[in-house]
Amino acid sequence: MSRVATLDSAELEGRRLASSIAMTVVLVSFSMLFASLFLGYAYYRITSPVWPPMGMSKVDLYFPTLSTFAILLSSLSFVIFKTKYLGGGSAKKTLPWLGLTIFLGLGFMFTQFSLWADLSGKGFYASSGVFQSLVYAFTWIHAAHIVMAILALVWLVPTTLKNECTITEENKVNNIGKFWHFLGVIWLLMYFIIFVI
Amino acid sequence: MAFYEQHIHPKPTTFISKYIFSFDHKVIGKQFLWYGILGLGLGGIMALMIRWALAFPGEAFPLIGQFMFPETGGVIPPDTYAMLFTMHGTIMIFYAITPILIGAFGNFCIPLMIGARDMAFPLMNMLSFHLAVLSAALLVISLFVPLGAAASGWTAYPTLSTLIGSPGTGQTFWAVAIFVLGISSTMGAINYITTVITLRAPGMGYFDMPLTVWGLWLTAILNAIFLPVLGAGGLLLVFDRVFGTQFFLAGAAATSGTGDPVLFQHVFWIFGHPEVYILILPAWGMVSDILSFFSRKPAFGAKATALSMTSITILSTLVYGHHMYTTQLSPLLTQTFMTLTMTISIPSAIFFANWLGTLWKGSIRFDTPMLFSLGVVFVFGLGGLTGLYLGTVTTDLYLHDTYFVVGHFHYTMAASVLFGSFAAIYFWMPKMFGKMLNETWGKIHFWLTMLGLNGVFFGMLFIGYAGMHRRLYDPFVYEFLQHLVPINTFITWSAILMGLTQIIFVVNFVHAVFWGKDETDPNPWKVGTLEWTIPSPAPNYNFDKIPVVKCGPHELGNPNLTTGRDFQYQTEELVEA
Repeated sequence: MSRVATLDSAELEGRRLASSIAMTVVLVSFSMLFASLFLGYAYYRITSPVWPPMGMSKVDLYFPTLSTFAILLSSLSFVIFKTKYLGGGSAKKTLPWLGLTIFLGLGFMFTQFSLWADLSGKGFYASSGVFQSLVYAFTWIHAAHIVMAILALVWLVPTTLKNECTITEENKVNNIGKFWHFLGVIWLLMYFIIFVI
Repeated sequence: MAFYEQHIHPKPTTFISKYIFSFDHKVIGKQFLWYGILGLGLGGIMALMIRWALAFPGEAFPLIGQFMFPETGGVIPPDTYAMLFTMHGTIMIFYAITPILIGAFGNFCIPLMIGARDMAFPLMNMLSFHLAVLSAALLVISLFVPLGAAASGWTAYPTLSTLIGSPGTGQTFWAVAIFVLGISSTMGAINYITTVITLRAPGMGYFDMPLTVWGLWLTAILNAIFLPVLGAGGLLLVFDRVFGTQFFLAGAAATSGTGDPVLFQHVFWIFGHPEVYILILPAWGMVSDILSFFSRKPAFGAKATALSMTSITILSTLVYGHHMYTTQLSPLLTQTFMTLTMTISIPSAIFFANWLGTLWKGSIRFDTPMLFSLGVVFVFGLGGLTGLYLGTVTTDLYLHDTYFVVGHFHYTMAASVLFGSFAAIYFWMPKMFGKMLNETWGKIHFWLTMLGLNGVFFGMLFIGYAGMHRRLYDPFVYEFLQHLVPINTFITWSAILMGLTQIIFVVNFVHAVFWGKDETDPNPWKVGTLEWTIPSPAPNYNFDKIPVVKCGPHELGNPNLTTGRDFQYQTEELVEA
């Protein structure tokens, strides 16, 4: 908490606001990316007389459900980490929760790889048809974002160890958290729209 | 107000920190300017090659033809022709106009005009330029891969752009390059939006911002919202080409489900129509300001201009279907899109009338920036009016995919935006580089460009109306088009005139930047916006002391002024007229 005192409150407030506005715009942009994908999904689904088309069977829900649990628990664990970190908790108290978040994030990726292996084992390839294309393209694009977000979470480890929470660290933790929760929400949408219904 | 003062960092000293890894918005602006001018040159040469093939089919392209196409003796081959119009469109839109208007002048003008020391996120600003360079590198590589560059038009419609239509890797490189450029522009947009909201100088409300900043800000908002849509379309296209997914494969419906090429058109135009406004809004803003500055009058209805630009921004997101009237959309949809499209005429007419109102009874100074701005008023008027024929379903069914479309979008997107860019370059040159461009050569540049440009694009309206389709390698194999050879030749000569005229500009620009006389007057155009209150070229971190804004940007020609000037700076207390 050392540097905060040296900044005047206008700059503190300004940097907090700038960071939050920018992150909002970032999330709007990413939402539009996924919204376009969902638009494509809706377009194919509405124009197809039966779904999944051409007698394709639905995807087994086992691995997607595991993924859902992993990402929801990781979001929860991040919330606990953030509360403790911004509350001024020491590295000893905060780091395990960040570690748990990263572990669950990796767990999510593990279930995704298992899903892909399982699907291709059943002859369900990206090139088999548009339903397969949709399942793979959605999970690939989402997983690519998850990888970026896990790297960002790992980037928080040295921040946590530094044990000093200025406005820079506060913004970093808040923004990475928003991105992580955002990906969780997108996964939930994908889970219900693509796998469940 | 969410204002805060940024810290002053020491001035960079080494070449690398100053010109390559620079955080300074002014340097990044200049980098984008050079990048865009190079793009203009490359895209321009491609345009001349396209025109050459149309006017003189079967004749060797002069000078460089022999080196480029030795196997045909210098004649442009048909597949190369398709690559040329594809890359011409791509380069001009994404690698010339976008970097100049949004990259260069967005970066340069926004902080200076709102009284900030830099962008809100300087590091992200630098990365945005580096990504733009990476994207350009990918695009240039695509020109040299086996089977050649992308050849499916700048719209990259499937099935032309799937593996069936374009088996080479050029199209994949194209899609990846556009995706990377999309990330770069989105990063810029995040920066612009945040900067305008948080870093306006104390006292500057939204309606005290110059209209240039309004235009750039609205553009940034559209960019942040709609570039990801193109990104999604591009990603799916890359998946189709590389991983064998079936999103856009025609015929996939019959064999394996519901793959559909038309989906790409939807996604493309959901982005593509706002993109038109992404390009034109900054030019509108700049022109609204420059018309006022050089008429020595307040901008007529400046608030209405800003608000009508805002309503156009909103409406532009709802009209994309007018690009797809011939794709068997339901009549309910086409009529809805037609009505919404026509609605855009209302705000457009408002700010167009405001432009004329600004000029009315002004004491107009015909300096080069003003000439180019008046040029925008003229060519945008023509472009807007021809748009009505294309926005109407009944006439569009006939005109679709003809040269009328080409003429129309060149008038709006190319001519207006190009003139806007030139106006901006001539106007902000002293603040950017501390040098003035030569006025006489500037005026010659304007008039010859105006002549050539109208020859090209007006001619295109005629041949389009006569039924000549775009993207044909040799239209004159069709008997009903053979009588159009003379007018095509005329268009090509106009294009050559316009192309050669740009040499005047390049020489003028390069000479001024490297060998020009320093401009000693920090305010040569005698206007009151914030960037003209500081020395030229703008110093490191712009403002020693952050200015306090007390009046709007267009306080000119007030007879009650006692300062001996006919304008007042935005930092001065408003004198009632």
